[in-house]
Amino acid sequence: MISLKNVSKYYDGKRRVVALEAVDLHIERGEMVSIVGPSGSGKSTLLNLIGGLDRPSTGEIRIDGQAVAALSDDDLTRLRRDKIGFIFQFFNLLPSLTCVENVALPLHLKGLPRKEIDKRARALLDLVQLAERFDHLPDELSGGERQRVAIARALAFSPPVLLADEPTGNLDTHTGAEILRLIHDLHERLHATILVVTHDATVAESCPRTVTLRDARIDGDVRR
Amino acid sequence: MILLRLISWPYVRKHLLRSVLTTAGIVLGVALLVGMQGANRSVLAAFNQTVDRIAGKAQLQVTAGESGFAEDVLERVQAVPQVRAAAPVIEASVETGLKGQGKLLILAVDMTGDRSLRDYDFENGDEDVIDDPLVFLAQPDSLIVTREFAGRNGLGAGSRVAFDTMEGPRQFTVRGVLKAGGMAAAFGGNLGIMDIYAAQKVFGRGRHFDRIDIGLAEGVSLEQGQAALEKALGPGFNVEPPSGRGRQFESLLGIYTTAMSISSLFALFVGVFIIYNSFAIAVTQRRAEIGILRALGATRGQIRTLFLGESAIAGLIGSAAGVALGLAFTRSLAGFTGQLMEAIFGVPQNTREILVDPRFLLVALVLGVATSMIAAFVPARNAARVEPVQALQKGKYQVLLAGENRTRRRAALLALALSLGCLALSRYRPLFYLGYLLTVTAALLLAPFLSLELARLLRGPLKWLRPIEGSLAADSLIQAPRRTSATVSALMLSLALAIAHGGVSLASVQSIQEWMAGTLNPDLFVSTSETLAARDFRFPAAMEGELEAVPGVADVQPVRTARVHLGGKPVMIVATELGRVYRHIHRTIIAGDAQTMDTLAPEGKGVVIGENLSVLQKLHLGEIIELPTPSGPLRLPIVGIIRDYSNQLGAVFLERSVYVRYFQDDTVDLFRVYVKRGAAGEEVRRQIVERLGGHRRLFVLSNREVRDYVTGVANQWLGLTYIQVLVALMVAILGIVNTLTVSISDRRRELGVLRAVGGLRAQIRGTVWMEAVAIGAIGLALGTATGAVFLYYEVQAIGKDIAGTPLAYQFPFGIVALLVPVILIAALISAVLPAETAVRSSLVEALEYE
Amino acid sequence: MNKAAALVPLVLLTAAWAQDARAIVEESQRRGRASSQRYEGVLEVIGAHAKVSKKSWQSFRLGSFGESKAIIRFTAPADVKGVALLVINHPDRSSDQWMWTPAIGRDRRIALQDRSTRFFATDFSFEDLEERDVNQFDYRLTGEEAIDGAPCWRIEARPRQGKVSQYTLSRVWIRKADYVAALYENLVKDKVARRLHETDIRNVQGIWTAETLEMTDLRRNSRTILRIEKLAYNVPMKNDDFTVQALRREQ
Repeated sequence: MISLKNVSKYYDGKRRVVALEAVDLHIERGEMVSIVGPSGSGKSTLLNLIGGLDRPSTGEIRIDGQAVAALSDDDLTRLRRDKIGFIFQFFNLLPSLTCVENVALPLHLKGLPRKEIDKRARALLDLVQLAERFDHLPDELSGGERQRVAIARALAFSPPVLLADEPTGNLDTHTGAEILRLIHDLHERLHATILVVTHDATVAESCPRTVTLRDARIDGDVRR
Repeated sequence: MILLRLISWPYVRKHLLRSVLTTAGIVLGVALLVGMQGANRSVLAAFNQTVDRIAGKAQLQVTAGESGFAEDVLERVQAVPQVRAAAPVIEASVETGLKGQGKLLILAVDMTGDRSLRDYDFENGDEDVIDDPLVFLAQPDSLIVTREFAGRNGLGAGSRVAFDTMEGPRQFTVRGVLKAGGMAAAFGGNLGIMDIYAAQKVFGRGRHFDRIDIGLAEGVSLEQGQAALEKALGPGFNVEPPSGRGRQFESLLGIYTTAMSISSLFALFVGVFIIYNSFAIAVTQRRAEIGILRALGATRGQIRTLFLGESAIAGLIGSAAGVALGLAFTRSLAGFTGQLMEAIFGVPQNTREILVDPRFLLVALVLGVATSMIAAFVPARNAARVEPVQALQKGKYQVLLAGENRTRRRAALLALALSLGCLALSRYRPLFYLGYLLTVTAALLLAPFLSLELARLLRGPLKWLRPIEGSLAADSLIQAPRRTSATVSALMLSLALAIAHGGVSLASVQSIQEWMAGTLNPDLFVSTSETLAARDFRFPAAMEGELEAVPGVADVQPVRTARVHLGGKPVMIVATELGRVYRHIHRTIIAGDAQTMDTLAPEGKGVVIGENLSVLQKLHLGEIIELPTPSGPLRLPIVGIIRDYSNQLGAVFLERSVYVRYFQDDTVDLFRVYVKRGAAGEEVRRQIVERLGGHRRLFVLSNREVRDYVTGVANQWLGLTYIQVLVALMVAILGIVNTLTVSISDRRRELGVLRAVGGLRAQIRGTVWMEAVAIGAIGLALGTATGAVFLYYEVQAIGKDIAGTPLAYQFPFGIVALLVPVILIAALISAVLPAETAVRSSLVEALEYE
Repeated sequence: MNKAAALVPLVLLTAAWAQDARAIVEESQRRGRASSQRYEGVLEVIGAHAKVSKKSWQSFRLGSFGESKAIIRFTAPADVKGVALLVINHPDRSSDQWMWTPAIGRDRRIALQDRSTRFFATDFSFEDLEERDVNQFDYRLTGEEAIDGAPCWRIEARPRQGKVSQYTLSRVWIRKADYVAALYENLVKDKVARRLHETDIRNVQGIWTAETLEMTDLRRNSRTILRIEKLAYNVPMKNDDFTVQALRREQ
């Protein structure tokens, strides 16, 4: 499903910063992998590259068999929209839009008929157990609820790949556990390929596979 | 200062484009102010210099309006014991058609006596200016030109210069070359000197002089001389120092200067909003930084000083650039203004030197800096109020406080109520203008609130149009009123200005056209110049008969126009055979009845005056006006007031025979010629040129040509005001760019999310564009509404105080229809750059929490 | 302004070493008197760059000194032919002058000029052409000298208080034999500005008259020579011919 071959990422400034160095990684369809490592080890960079938010300096990334490097900006955006769902640490909801509207965002962007969008957005919120919060603005929700909305949004197209960057990092332990449960639940129900970047050992250990990064390289790959 | 360098400079460098845009308002405002002022000053200075150089040692000048006076006045003047020297003068401009700027100002003097007032040879004569003075006097084709003019046109003693005279085209012989300096600098060096008696023939002046220049006897003061001359000549003559002519010209130029200065200041005013906006945004964006500074021990005063210092520097840089830009434009503006003054008032112009008052430049700089600092005052105060703890907390940007909003709304309603009160009492003019000011204030106070409401209204349609891009665009406006409202205000003001100006010009042009249709209805006009305004040449009275004899001519009406002083202003006397003219034209009578007017005025028992004159000088029907004439004051009652646009400062219509008698002047400037029914105008025109043109300088203009000319001049006059409207609009549009740039950076994260979850480039652009269009639309809506109100005030001001001719209130729908696409497209264009920035910025950075 | 009629007796300045000098000048003026005078003049201006211009005229004068009337009518060159000047002198005030220009068909009154300016591009100034009142100068006899071989008195004339003159001092050499002035030097601040040299002194009808006058402007380095031809005194003339109307009529 996801394959990285000899992928490196440098940031060229006054001094070249190596964010990721010669990473080879292969993730099968339906796998749930946690990515751990100390700050600055390249976890987020890895996730951004896989999610198509950024392009590698060298190496090849394939998502669902498609080589990302060859895609134009807009094609990459389409790939992201249709095949990848993002869950961010800080939720990244648009504060001016209601829950339904936030969830509907990708659907609108794809230009689906409005009726269908509405139905689907509500169904998704149902899925994350937020049926009673349809028309609330993000500001009016708790952290956990916001993350659920974000997850609902990530699921808009039932993407085969779900990428979560510290999904529980900004939540208290209890809520974090709830969200983790939700993600596991989704994994089981949707058979999506899920990558979770995390600092949290509980989260990492709950995943069947854990990739450890250190100093921009893969330092361990454990399957349990 | 160290704060400025450490804190402000990096911010400016980071937001370079925006910093430049911020100062652009000041740059343009100051440039316009400097350019206009410089141009007007240069035109005036050139005129004054010409007057001054030509006046030589003359201390006083005797004139009788523009009509001139008979030769025998000279002897009366010379008989005054206080007079040492008296020299008659005729002044006129001619077009020689020479390549190196061939327009010559002819100063016709009596060379035998003139040297006592004017210096002709400047270097104590090792070489004579005039080859042979006797030949110069003996030959009527003698001409002296300046060395500069001679050099430019490759002339020397004996060269020929041709121009049209009242006796047909004539060759003149250069019989002298004036050395540079002194008088030779008059009229940009394009000065020609002629014998006055020859000039009487050349320009059709009969036995008249335009004026007499006076040198006073030793020990006689200016006042004594003036008093003695006034006593000897009686009323009807003007005895003034040469600078008096400058003042007269200034009063003509003044009409124009005032309008220009007001609009320039307006552009600067619009700039205030842009600066305010920038600083307000800067303060919100830099809250954290301010918080850190405060936490580190900066006092409120230091923070305020920091921002005010920034604004002062921005103002200084902007004004300096504005001064430079303005100076660059001055020349062409001066040319334009000069041309306009010549076209409208017939005062020949030659502005070569651009004169700029350094003091004015300083004033402009100070004005620019002050504008900038005033605009930054509120943001600076807000910055100083930032609480360190609050600022260091991560969170949302400060929004407009509800309380603040309420206060504003209350103030706006108060201003509005007061302005209505003023309107009710608008008979007291200061109150009327106060009301105008209050209305502007109310509009500005309400603008943020209204733009918010309009943005809310727009959210629906925008969302319907594009569910995501539309609602995000609208939300961006709704959520950051501070970001938007100043730009909307600027846009509103400039649009209101455009609409008010548009309405005024529309109404003016329409009124002038109506008036022309009624009164300018002769088939042909026979004039001494191509521009009807120039009155350098005059026809003899006998030409009336010659014209009447041309086959196909039905009626010929001689018209003589001359400015005289009335109520301290140069007012135009239009002397014609009123009875004959009134049979042909359709007048709009403002006061009096047609019958009385038609009986009394043609009999010379009264005058008819233009409406503008009656308004401007508060003259009423039945009142007796006193016209100064060389034969003493002419007192006649006003027997009618009609709508009239023939002169901006007003016209008095006088029966020709009365004019001839009192002014001892039977010359004619213009013949109105009606063609017989069935005769072809073109053919008659050809006949006139053929029969009379050979031995006389004349221009035959068709009705259409005259109307086109008048319309052209009117449009030219209005044209310059449009430059200013344009500048105001440009400033406002720069405001849109500014606001969008900030909006993009504020919404980086939001746009990043949009892209992350699948927003294509086009969709991202779409939302930025929609925001821009929404700002444009809101500005349009508010501007149109405000413009409708401004227009009312302007129409009133022009009708009652400036022009004296009432204008119809006509909302310029055409202009609004034009402005809508212009502004929306301009908004779209101004969104291009910010939108591209939004599309191209790094996604990863955008999504990171700042 | 232009005392054109005075061209012949020209400036009669003079000076006195007490009464003697003044008496000499008065005698000189007295001897020049005639009831009328007529001549044809040829004027030649030789400029600094050896540029020569020539004019001819006819001169008529009725009466003399103080109350004379005169007409000068130009006869050449072609572009000034017909131009005429009428001068009416008054004993108590400046003269009245008119000019007739046939090409324009106009007569004009000539206004009072700055008297130091040149008379129609010649080397004479207007002041040089005026009749001078003996009483306005102080005279001093400063010696005796021969001019062109003829013994002369040298007399200095200084304008009195109240007399406005461009010159600070004038010197005149008057011939002892016939009381004709042979040389004038007009000084401005101790420097000779103009020098008038009179030659060809002949007796015409009992009046000794110089028939060649050469005025040199030393500042401009230019000179003007006036030759008097066909000179006749006491010719019958009518008062009516010395009017502005006559000026026009004669055309």
